[in-house]
Amino acid sequence: MGKPKFYDFCVHAAPDGDSTIEELVSLAQHFGYSGIVLAEYSDKLPGKKAALPLIEGFEVFRGIELVEETPSKLHGLIGKFRNSTDVLIVHGGSEAINRAALENPRVDILNHPAFEKSSGLNQVLAKAAADNGVAIGITLRSLLHSRGSRRIRMLSDLRANLELARKYEVPLVLCSDAMSCFDLRAPMEILAFAEVCGFEEDEALDAISTVPERILKKNRPGPGYIREGVEVLEGEDIF
Amino acid sequence: MKRLLPSLRAKKRYLAFELISEEPASRSDIVKEVISSASSLLGDVTTSNCDIKVLGFEKGKGIIQCSHTKVKETRASMAALTRINGKRATLHVLGTSGTVKGATEKFLQN
Repeated sequence: MGKPKFYDFCVHAAPDGDSTIEELVSLAQHFGYSGIVLAEYSDKLPGKKAALPLIEGFEVFRGIELVEETPSKLHGLIGKFRNSTDVLIVHGGSEAINRAALENPRVDILNHPAFEKSSGLNQVLAKAAADNGVAIGITLRSLLHSRGSRRIRMLSDLRANLELARKYEVPLVLCSDAMSCFDLRAPMEILAFAEVCGFEEDEALDAISTVPERILKKNRPGPGYIREGVEVLEGEDIF
Repeated sequence: MKRLLPSLRAKKRYLAFELISEEPASRSDIVKEVISSASSLLGDVTTSNCDIKVLGFEKGKGIIQCSHTKVKETRASMAALTRINGKRATLHVLGTSGTVKGATEKFLQN
């Protein structure tokens, strides 16, 4: 087994965040990531798409974080953005939106599912997430920046979601949700923090390398890909 | 007082780190913030077990000492540090070693 590749799946560059794409990319590369996803909020999209920098040995993916309050509009947005982005994230926060996101297999990740007095998941939604392959995103920025009672609430929500995810085998993704380069954390620090928050070592590792890799593979199929399960293999001595 | 025998002394790990921040910070600022973030994240009991000390810090790089069984907790509390003196900052662990010399030679000298 080679060295695992680490990905940060939710990074907000300017104009949503404070830092430019170049700053975030060079810091993430310095921290030892193999790639990051630059996510833009769908409710404040800039007029034109920013060009993604091409760097050898480092991948930058285009992502979108859908912020929407009605499920039918959400499904519309998913259809609109699915083909032009590598990673499609839904910003949860109400029962209807969480449900709509987890029941749609075209969604990759649901972030911030918690609302009011609930962790945002229950057995029904967890099962839907596992069936549709939608990952639950665990965002570190809010956990790192808050203290005291707020953080205690978030950690207990996280633990509740973790229990459900273990039982129903829901994929989890750990991401920084960075708004500036000071919110980025190195992979080893994220692993240590996740373990302190209740993750097992291999769960944390999966959430930062294996699950992201699987999502990318699904959305960026190889050259011979025709449809799910059908692929043209190169080479002569296949048969 | 007579010094403890080597075999009885607490075993330690040394984490070489670099500071990434908006404004430069001093060693005492880092000590204060690391301890406060650790006690907020882990609680006072676990933090006392971690035995965190900032040994040296100059030119944005330094060494933090911790108990050899609590490296993970120490790293997590370094990750949970978000501000120093109200300015945004983060500590990036360059590597760990069992001796100060090892940490300095491996991670702090270019």
